[in-house]
Amino acid sequence: MLFSYNWLKSFFSAEIPEPKKLAELLTLHSFEVESLEKKGNDWILGIDVLPDRAGDCLSHIGIAKEISVLLNKKLILPKTKLNTKGKESISVEVVDGRDCLRYMARVIDNVKITESPKWIKEKLEACGLNSINNVVDATNYVMLETGQPLHAFDFNNVSKGIIVRRARKGEKMMTLSEKDYLLDENILIIADAEKPLALAGIKGGKKAEIGKNTKKIILESANFNAKLISQTARKLNLRTDASIRFEHNIDPNLTELAMNRVVSIIEEIAKGEVVSKIIDVYKTKAKTRKIILNISEVSKVIGIEIPQKNIIDILQRLGFGVKQMKGKLSVDVPTYRQDVVIPENLIEEIGRVYGYEKVEEKLPYGFLEGIKRNETGYWQNKARDILKELGFSEVYSYSFIGDEEKDVFNLKAEEIVNPVSSYFKYLRPTLIPQMAKIVKENSKFFKDIKVFEVGKSFEKNKETYALSGAVSCSDFYGLKGCLNILFDNLGIKNVNYSGIKEKLFWNKGNTADIIIKGEKVGNIGSLSLDICQALSLDNNIVYFEINFEKLVKNCSRTKTYEIISYHPPLLRDISGIVPENVSIDNIIELIKNKGGQLLKSAEVFDVYKGNGIPQGKKSVSFHLIYQSEEKTLDSKTVDFLRDSLINELKKEVNWEERK
Amino acid sequence: MDLIELKNSAEKELEKIAKSTELKSFFDKYLGKKGEIRQLFSLVKNLTEEERKKLGQEINEFARNLEAKVADLEKDLRKKEIEIEENSKSLDVSLSGSKIETGHLNPLTLTRREMERIFELMGFSVVDGPEVEDEWHNFDSLNIPEGHPARDALSLGKTYYLKNGNVLRTQTSSAQTRYMEKMTPPIRIVIPGKVYRYETTDASHEINFYQIEGLLVDENVSVANLKAVLRKFLNEFFERDVEIRLRPSYFPFTEPSFEVDMLCTVCNGKGCAACKRSGWVEILGTGIVHPNVIKNGKLDPKKYKGFAFGMAIDRMAMMKYKINDVRLFHSGNLKFLKQF
Repeated sequence: MLFSYNWLKSFFSAEIPEPKKLAELLTLHSFEVESLEKKGNDWILGIDVLPDRAGDCLSHIGIAKEISVLLNKKLILPKTKLNTKGKESISVEVVDGRDCLRYMARVIDNVKITESPKWIKEKLEACGLNSINNVVDATNYVMLETGQPLHAFDFNNVSKGIIVRRARKGEKMMTLSEKDYLLDENILIIADAEKPLALAGIKGGKKAEIGKNTKKIILESANFNAKLISQTARKLNLRTDASIRFEHNIDPNLTELAMNRVVSIIEEIAKGEVVSKIIDVYKTKAKTRKIILNISEVSKVIGIEIPQKNIIDILQRLGFGVKQMKGKLSVDVPTYRQDVVIPENLIEEIGRVYGYEKVEEKLPYGFLEGIKRNETGYWQNKARDILKELGFSEVYSYSFIGDEEKDVFNLKAEEIVNPVSSYFKYLRPTLIPQMAKIVKENSKFFKDIKVFEVGKSFEKNKETYALSGAVSCSDFYGLKGCLNILFDNLGIKNVNYSGIKEKLFWNKGNTADIIIKGEKVGNIGSLSLDICQALSLDNNIVYFEINFEKLVKNCSRTKTYEIISYHPPLLRDISGIVPENVSIDNIIELIKNKGGQLLKSAEVFDVYKGNGIPQGKKSVSFHLIYQSEEKTLDSKTVDFLRDSLINELKKEVNWEERK
Repeated sequence: MDLIELKNSAEKELEKIAKSTELKSFFDKYLGKKGEIRQLFSLVKNLTEEERKKLGQEINEFARNLEAKVADLEKDLRKKEIEIEENSKSLDVSLSGSKIETGHLNPLTLTRREMERIFELMGFSVVDGPEVEDEWHNFDSLNIPEGHPARDALSLGKTYYLKNGNVLRTQTSSAQTRYMEKMTPPIRIVIPGKVYRYETTDASHEINFYQIEGLLVDENVSVANLKAVLRKFLNEFFERDVEIRLRPSYFPFTEPSFEVDMLCTVCNGKGCAACKRSGWVEILGTGIVHPNVIKNGKLDPKKYKGFAFGMAIDRMAMMKYKINDVRLFHSGNLKFLKQF
C-alpha cells in the first residue's frame, strides 16, 4: 500500500526521521518499504504490509502507531466529536452474527454531491486512489486513515431497510463498475427489502450508488467474517481495497472511530446534516485476549539476553497490558491485534522492536567452526573429472624412477638411500617418463590411449603437484583442444602457447610452453627424437605436464552468463598475408581488441606457407561472427566494421589482405 | 706414419666431420681392428723393451683419447642433428587446438550440488520429498488450515490440483513434517526439489522452479543459531564475506519469521538496478518453526524448537551466474546450456 509521509507525520507533534531514515526503520522493524518516491512536497512510501498485520496496518494510523512504538514517541489521533444529533432511524437486520460481526449505520441528509476539496484529492491521489465525489472520497479517505472500509448508499434507492444476509442462488447484482455477478448462498450481501445493494465487504452495487442528485445517504461501517470475504473475493476474482482489509481480521471496535471520522468529514465537505443516531448491531463484542508469557522463553528463542524491563517496555509501547508474575508476564492483547494469539507471537513482537541486528550469531550446538574446502584438492578433482569426460583414464604410478629413465631423460633426481630395487632408485622430478612407459606397455593391446596422472614431482627439498598425461591417438592440436576444455572448465582464461624456451627432454619443433599471465605453467608436445629412439617409443605420442600449483592460482569458479542474442549473426571471412613470425594468438588478440563490440567470435580456419606465398610470410584466414543483442545487423554496418578491423591489422601486423 | 703424424692427421680429419654418420668410417679407419692405431703397434716390435713399453702406453693413451673425442663428437653431432630434424618439422604451436565437444550440466544442477555440499559440510542430510502431495502436507501440516488467507492465496489461483484431490507441492516445506515424524531430534535436513506455482511466466516467474528447504530441530534452537548457519552458508556459497540482515516477515509455518537480505554484491550496497536501488537483495525466507508444525510432525513443541528456511535454487543460480531470465533454465536452449 502507498503511504503519504506528510500524512504519517501529521499524527506526531514531535519530529520524525526524514523519509529515507523512516523507510529504513520500518523495513528493519516492521515491514519492508519497497519504494520511496518524491511527489510534490510529499514523499510516497510503498509499504509491503505483512498479511498478519494487514488488519491493523493497512492504514496511516496503523503505520503511525508502528512508528510511535519504534521511536517511543506519542501518537496524536485526529479528534472526532461524537455527533449525537438526529432522531431518524433505519432498520438494520443482521441475519447471522457469525457472517457480520458488527454493522453500524448512520443517515445524513441534505448532502451536496460535488468534487472533493484539494486536501482530500491530494491525499487520495498520493495513495493511488481516484477521486469520485466528495461523499465517496470521504469514505475512502477514512479507510486510508483508519483502515476501516466504509460504504455509502443513496437513501432514496434503499427500499425500507438494510438486511445483511447470504445471497440466494441465482440472485444477480450489478456492481458500481457495471459488471453483473451471479450470486449464490456462499456470498454475503447487503440488501434492502427487494434486491442486493452490495457484495458485503467487497464492492457496492449500482442500485444505491451515490450520484450527482443524491441528497440523503446511509453510511455503513461494518465488520465481516474474514474467511467469508476472502473466499468470495477470490471466487469472484474481485479483490478490492475493502476486501483486502476485511480478509485480514480488522478490529470490530474500529467501526466507531471510522464512523465518527467520516460523519464529521462529510458534514464539513458535503454540508450534510446527521439525521439519525448511530445504529449499531454488535451481538458478540470482541474482547482483549490474555496470553501468559514465560520470560525465559524470550531469550531462549531469540538467542540473546533481553532484559525484563525492555520486554515489558516494548509490550506496553505496543499497547499491550502487562502484569508481572513470577517469571512470567500476563499480557492483555488489545482487539486491534487479532494476529497475536500465542506466546510465540509476543516473542516475535519483542524481537523485532528490540532489533534483530542486535542478535549475535551463534552456531547451534554441535556445529564445527572453520570446516573449509581444500582448494588444491577441489581443483584436482575437478581436473580429473574433466579429463575423464574427455576420455582419459587416470593412472597412478610410483614416485620412483630408475637409472634408465634418469639417464635417457637426462634428469636431476634425488636418490633414495635404501631403494627396494635399482628400478626405484630416485624420486621422480617429472611424471613424463612414466607416462611414456605406460603408453608403450598399453600400445600392445590398445590403439587409442589417453592417460593422465595427478601426483607429486620432486626436486631437491621441494615437492610439487603435477598433472601429466599422454595421448597416442591424436596430434598436438588434438591434445591442445583437450587442454582448452580443461582450462575453460577450471575457469582459466588467457592461456598462451609459445615455442619451448628450455628444451629439456622435449622435441623442440612440436612442443610449446603453456603460459598463463606471463608465467610458464607447463609443456605440451612430444619427446625428443633421441629419447624415442633410445626407449623405442612412438614419435607421435603427445604429452603434457602442468605444474598444478601454478595452475590453481589461476583457477576460478566465477562464471558470468552472457546474454543470448535472438538476432541472426552475420558471418565475414578475412584472409591476409603476414610475416611468418607473427603468431596466430597475437592476431586473434588483436582482432578481439579492435574488432568492436558486435564482434562475437574470431576463429582461424586456415594457415598456409609455401607455393604462392612469399618467403618468410604466411597466409592466414579467419571466420568473424558479428551479432547484436538488440537488433538485426545490416551488411553495411558489418562490412564497415570488417574494413576498419583490416586497417588496424595493416597497421599492427603488416597484414596484406588477399582478395 | 709415426704416432705424431697419426695424431695430427686424425685430429684434422675429425675436425672436418660434420655428420654423425661420417664418424663410423672415421672410427673404422683409426680405431677399427685393422685401423691405423693397430698398425702402429708394428713399429713397436723393433724397439727395446723400455722404449716398447713407453710407446705402447702412448699409443694406448692416444687411442683412449680419440675414442672419447669420437664419442663426445657423436653426442654433439646427434644433438645438433636432432635439433635440426625437430626444427625442420616445426609446428605453429599458437594455432588453435581442435574443437572438442563435451557435455554441459544445467546451472540448476551445478547450483544445487554446491548448496548440498555446503549443507552436508555443516552436518545436514540431503533428503527428497514427493512432488505430488496431499493437501494436508502441503497446507494443513504447515499451519495453513482451510480458510487461512495464506491457504486461499496459495490454493485458489497458485496451486495445481489433480483429480484425486492431491496437489503439486507449492513449496518444499511440505516434506518437513514427513521427516519430523520419522526422525528423532536433533534433526538436520535439507530438502531440494521442484515446486509448482500456477503463474503467468515472465523473466522472474516460472510455473515450476526449484527450492531447497532446510530444517533443524533440537532442544535449544534460536534466532542467533539461524543467523549463524545462514551466514555460514551464504559466505560459502558466494565465496566472500557477505553482509546480511534479518527483516521481519510472515509465514504461517514459522514464528518469528524473517526475510534475509544480502548486501548487493553488484553495487556493494550503494544501490543499483540489480537491487532496485535499495542496496539489499532478498535471498531467502526463514524463521523459528511454528509450534503447530512441530506438533504436526508428532514432536512435543514444549521440548523441541527448530528453524527452517527455504530459498529458490533458480534465484540463487541467477545471482551466482548473473542470469537475467528464470525461463532459461527450462528452455532447453543450447546457447544457454553450453555456457555452463
